[in-house]
Amino acid sequence: MGINMSTLLELREKLKVIYSRNDVYIIPVMKFLLAFFVLNFINGNLGYMSKLDDLPVVLIVALLCSFLPNGCIVFFGALFSILHMYALSMEVALVGLCLYLVISLLFFRFSPRDSLVVLLTPMAFSLGIPYVVPMVMGLLGTPASAVSVGCGIVIYYFLSNVTANAQIISAMEAEEAVAKLQLVLNALINNRAMLVIIVAFAVTIVIVYLVRRLPVDHSWTIAILSGSIVDVILLLVGDLMYDTNVSMVSAIIGTLIAILVAKVVEFFKFCVDYNRTENVQFEDDEYYYYVRAIPKMTVATQSKKVKRINAQRRPSGSRSRRAAETSRQADYRREREKNTRYDMGDEVRAEELYDDVGVDDVEEAPLLDESADSEEYMEYDEFAESNGAAEDEVSREEDDFVDYEEPAEEDPSGYGEESEEGSDSYREKGYEDL
Amino acid sequence: MINEERVVLMTKMQFYEENEGKKNVKIGSYFRSDYISFQILKSVISATIAFLIVFALYLLYDFEEFMQNVYKMDLLDFAKNVLIAYGITVVSYGVISYLVYSYRYSRAKKSLKNYYNHLKKLNSLYDDGQS
Repeated sequence: MGINMSTLLELREKLKVIYSRNDVYIIPVMKFLLAFFVLNFINGNLGYMSKLDDLPVVLIVALLCSFLPNGCIVFFGALFSILHMYALSMEVALVGLCLYLVISLLFFRFSPRDSLVVLLTPMAFSLGIPYVVPMVMGLLGTPASAVSVGCGIVIYYFLSNVTANAQIISAMEAEEAVAKLQLVLNALINNRAMLVIIVAFAVTIVIVYLVRRLPVDHSWTIAILSGSIVDVILLLVGDLMYDTNVSMVSAIIGTLIAILVAKVVEFFKFCVDYNRTENVQFEDDEYYYYVRAIPKMTVATQSKKVKRINAQRRPSGSRSRRAAETSRQADYRREREKNTRYDMGDEVRAEELYDDVGVDDVEEAPLLDESADSEEYMEYDEFAESNGAAEDEVSREEDDFVDYEEPAEEDPSGYGEESEEGSDSYREKGYEDL
Repeated sequence: MINEERVVLMTKMQFYEENEGKKNVKIGSYFRSDYISFQILKSVISATIAFLIVFALYLLYDFEEFMQNVYKMDLLDFAKNVLIAYGITVVSYGVISYLVYSYRYSRAKKSLKNYYNHLKKLNSLYDDGQS
């Protein structure tokens, strides 16, 4: 098991390196695949407008989505579903449009980032894995995600009602507009099963979020387990109170699947929160700078190594080791540290937490350490791979890059301890107030 | 001569400006009261539109009944109820957006403070370079 775990971790670190260096290509491809999948899914489930249910159309829209912001996938998803509903009946499309408008007016104003969740929640429901949603959103999102998930659930119930009654609706005469409207809206009004699920999911999201942020070991695992228990209990209570016909067997099986998915998400969480390769340009009075900064990632081969580093941290000898570093390195590490403070609050927390991690947590330790440390110092990767020799390779030419490399033999362990001391002395220099 | 420290600092600041800082710099250019009241105004407008949509759907849903009763019912009373519902919607939504946006404002200011520290540091680095 131990060997397995460390191989997995190494694999993950490698994936992380690949991902962070190539995200310029990986993210558009992922977005394309997501959009393609989503649109095909909508076409498969609603498909009343045959013009849209067409591979070239889907491909073109998916390609558009690949380089447009995430919100566009949601926009096109909504557009496709409304057009399909329009082909079914104008009244249904009107209700759908109103529903989307109200949701976007009231909720997207606050959390436009979460908009993808509103799209993915109905899909998870249709795919039979609804319980994955609160778990994953609690792990990756904030309590505010509960609102987006709630909106997604409402949309799911609305759309599934439309598909369930599609034949009745299409058989109705044009004069029965109000009846159509009532038929469609009835799914949302007084739908207790929907309300129970919304409440259960919202509570689960908040609980998973709160537990995962607790400063204890294995907080993610505890969060996943407690969230799934709360979810099942709430659904059970809701079923008993309101007779919602939520199948308990499927809820329990679904929750077990959700736990598995959540563990996978935990493994790949770096996709959400990672240091990516950045190309920036700026200028001062003398030069134009074109900088390519590549995050430094070391693959932690053995977890025991981390223990040793931890032990080295405390003795006063660290002072002399640090003195050996050039002031420049110390300086920008400090600033990086400060940077981390406001950029990535969680990383700092992870690092502080790491100090308390016991021996039996070695498996967890490299994760925390890695994520914390790798944020802190940045490597200016040499374009023509010189090893720290060419420090001032800033060219006056416009198309050149500034390249740095930290000395390779540098012990990464020194970085962690900079935090308090370093930022304090920085403050003493009088930079802190405005 | 290129000063490495300066380049590193500027790179970091540029990161910030391009990513997380983009929004914060924008927020930071407002006074607190201006920012929050502007956001609340936007919230009130969107709540009004949302309310109108829901109200229209409600009327359509009960269209026949409403049309039958429209001469019998007390329209004034009906309007009063609608207005009260509207008021509750808008006020509660306004309060929520006040809380959200004042939190966001203070968070952005905090984050910008670090950024300004870097600016100061950068400034002093340039001064050192000249002397």
